[in-house]
Amino acid sequence: MHRVPKTIIGVAAGVLLAAALFIFYTFDPGTHAFFPKCPFLLVSGYKCPGCGSQRAIHSLLHLRIGDALRYNAFVLPALPYIFLGIYLEYFGGKRRFPRIEKLFFGRWSAPVLLFVIIAYWILRNLL
Amino acid sequence: MNHYFYIDGEGKQKGTFSPEELGREGIKRDTLVWTQGMEQWKRAGETEELNFLFSDTYGRFRTVAEQPSARYGRPGESGQPQALPPMPKSWLTEAILATFLPLLLCSSILSLFGIIAIVHAAQVESSYSRGDYAASLESSRSAAKWTKISLWIAAGWTIFLVILMILLFVFVGSFRGIAEMGDLLNT
Repeated sequence: MHRVPKTIIGVAAGVLLAAALFIFYTFDPGTHAFFPKCPFLLVSGYKCPGCGSQRAIHSLLHLRIGDALRYNAFVLPALPYIFLGIYLEYFGGKRRFPRIEKLFFGRWSAPVLLFVIIAYWILRNLL
Repeated sequence: MNHYFYIDGEGKQKGTFSPEELGREGIKRDTLVWTQGMEQWKRAGETEELNFLFSDTYGRFRTVAEQPSARYGRPGESGQPQALPPMPKSWLTEAILATFLPLLLCSSILSLFGIIAIVHAAQVESSYSRGDYAASLESSRSAAKWTKISLWIAAGWTIFLVILMILLFVFVGSFRGIAEMGDLLNT
């Protein structure tokens, strides 16, 4: 695995990302059956913290921010967070912005994130 | 220079030590050692960097140099904890991402692996700041393991879904005909 050149991984990830964006832009996960369903929702009948994220991505790609927030309030803040993490870890951001890395991916960020996710999980099923 | 773990006579893992310190620990040719970058434990005698420990000249040099308690009480070394090698990769960023991404892919169960990885990743830093390099390295390897398990299953799950989608298209296509499939693509 270590011998796979980085460019191949990069190209593969780029192609996958482009394909995913195309699929999520073209099809509405709310009306098409072939999108993956949440196993937790199927089994328990309760929404997991990620439920609605595909519909939210579809809405975001069509710039319907309100809809996106209603489907899943986490997707809008999570996407920049994920890209920030990838940038910090793999594109040298760690050395350039060590304080940002400490703030967003430091020791306390993981427990805080877990707490927020679990709170959202409980609240979205109660309300 | 690398710092090594070794397995002592009772099967316990000890470390980390520089090659000279390993010599003082009295390791033998067939003692198993490991350092970062090695795929698995190797005999000290087969490890290039440690070979010199078993040469006769080094053995004689050691018995001469070590007799007065030269290791302690040197100025600048008194009571100072030894400089640790740099902190092992904590994998915290990857672990957090491995917790997040499955949620977006509707495979929330995988987030559990991500959480296990986060727990280990958090221990990398805390062990290291305690000065426990061995525990830190151990946590780092566990965090890496769980992150990779999570990501590989996620990759497998995605490929499975893609195959399912293709099969579904073929299935739908065989029912409705290719022309209507074109309509499906255009909506």
